[in-house]
Amino acid sequence: MDPNPTTSRGRAQRIAIFNHKGGVGKTTLNVNIAAALASLGKRILLVDSDPQCNLTAYLIEESVVDDLLDTSDSEDGGRTVWSAVKPVVDATGTIRIIRPIERLSNVFILPGDIRLSEFEQELSPMWNECFQRKPKGFRGTTALSNLVDHVASAYDIDFVFYDAGPNIGPLNRVLLLDCDYFIVPAACDLFSIRALKTLGYTLVNWINDWKTIEELAPTNVHMLPGSPKFLGYIPQRFRVYGGDVASSYARYLPRIEKSISSDLVTVLRRLNPSLAPFSGGASELGQVKDFGTIATASQTQGKPMKDVDAGTPGQRAEAEETFLEIALKIVTRTGTV
Amino acid sequence: MTIVTISTGDEQNIDRLVNHYLANQGLIRRFLSSVDSQIADAVLDTEPLSRLVHSVKRRMKDPSHLKDKLIRKLLKKREAGEDFDITEDNLFLRINDLGGYRILHLHTQQMGEIHTALLELLDQAQCELFEPPSANIWDEESRAYFEGIGIRTEVNPRLYSSVHYVIQPRSRTRITCEIQVRTLADEIWGEIDHKINYPHPHESLPCREQIKALARVASSCSRLVDSIVASHRDWEDHGHVRSSDD
Repeated sequence: MDPNPTTSRGRAQRIAIFNHKGGVGKTTLNVNIAAALASLGKRILLVDSDPQCNLTAYLIEESVVDDLLDTSDSEDGGRTVWSAVKPVVDATGTIRIIRPIERLSNVFILPGDIRLSEFEQELSPMWNECFQRKPKGFRGTTALSNLVDHVASAYDIDFVFYDAGPNIGPLNRVLLLDCDYFIVPAACDLFSIRALKTLGYTLVNWINDWKTIEELAPTNVHMLPGSPKFLGYIPQRFRVYGGDVASSYARYLPRIEKSISSDLVTVLRRLNPSLAPFSGGASELGQVKDFGTIATASQTQGKPMKDVDAGTPGQRAEAEETFLEIALKIVTRTGTV
Repeated sequence: MTIVTISTGDEQNIDRLVNHYLANQGLIRRFLSSVDSQIADAVLDTEPLSRLVHSVKRRMKDPSHLKDKLIRKLLKKREAGEDFDITEDNLFLRINDLGGYRILHLHTQQMGEIHTALLELLDQAQCELFEPPSANIWDEESRAYFEGIGIRTEVNPRLYSSVHYVIQPRSRTRITCEIQVRTLADEIWGEIDHKINYPHPHESLPCREQIKALARVASSCSRLVDSIVASHRDWEDHGHVRSSDD
């Protein structure tokens, strides 16, 4: 297949669940939201774009992952995201289209790879080459986007989720700029809130830089859309006692809301009001409490919480409802009912 | 003779244009720097430009020089009874040397090969020509040479010699930059002329005359290098080898 630069983006909405503060449960959210959307009849593509491969490890059994990583560097057998972008990194050609693995019903995954960090290293000089209007820079910068164009259209995908690592590096920059929307998971702790401040300014810088690149970009290269909109935030992992948010965590909720408002929504709107269509508190997509055993089981069993062999039926039903509500909001807010 | 003057409105209009340039200088600088990254690389290590080009220079137009140029253009239009029609929308297409790039080489006869290599490089650099390149000349011999290699010529009464390429990026933004290609000897003339005789001719007749004489000497110098290089090649073609090359 020859990925030509004018490949259309297709209809799939691309979303990143992104917060550069680690340990806020991005991967768990990705899997459970994807499963909930799939239960609504949507077709989901999960892209493990974190060199740490948490999502891949979550959903694919270890022996298979081992095999995937062993063969990912080979000329034609590779099936990870690295296998797809390798020809661009080696400057031997355009991306190689890989087939996703269907892991849950209607949920497909493009497996991640430790070697993506090599790609990430190349992305910095490639970014500079975009400023210099060099086609090679655009080939690298848009390689993942281009891959998703092909896979999403071949598998008739409705939603693409990028599982982004917890950093503001060059890989996340190109992912975010490829997204239509991003969701911010926020844990109830001080650092998670502090991270929001950097997040807003970082996004604004990325969007501005890309606008600058776009002004002089050669007309025949693949481009990123470059305007990820804030879809909402998800406070999570707070303990609940007797139905109320435990007091030590409760005090963080208004702080998260305030910070979302002043450090993210306001900063984005200053650049362009359309980047943050939903305001502070109203942008909350749902709260995800600490589901304890079934959350752990979800990771070890590679299933969404609603389907694990652990916990009580009541716990599983509660998790199912939580993620279904989030999924419904995503569907409504992205206008994909 | 009618004296054409500049009104306050004209002055405000021109200031607006200069401010528009200042506000968008970054854009032109970035384009110029992208062109530089490709040409300078090629000059460093890629045949044939690495063999043909002596050095390169680049500069952004000084805003006060732009103001001066716009006033001159306005006066010229008024004298001809025409409207001054440069606006913020067309400034970057009407004034082509806001970003300027210069390629210097040793002697005129290299120009054919430079021309071909440069057009190819500009294509790779995702640029296209805004208008056909043109050579400023002031004598028949040069006219014949440049037209022979496919470059149109324009007689320059001030005895300026240089080949100009106005380029634009293949992009949604429409701006232009100018590449000037000339010999080192012509560069000496250009630099001194620019310093003391341009845009307003020097008041002193001897100064003006000496600058003209310098143009002829510079041109002769470039031609002498043409001749030396041609003689040396001919000598080699007859089977001679320099003893130092043994």
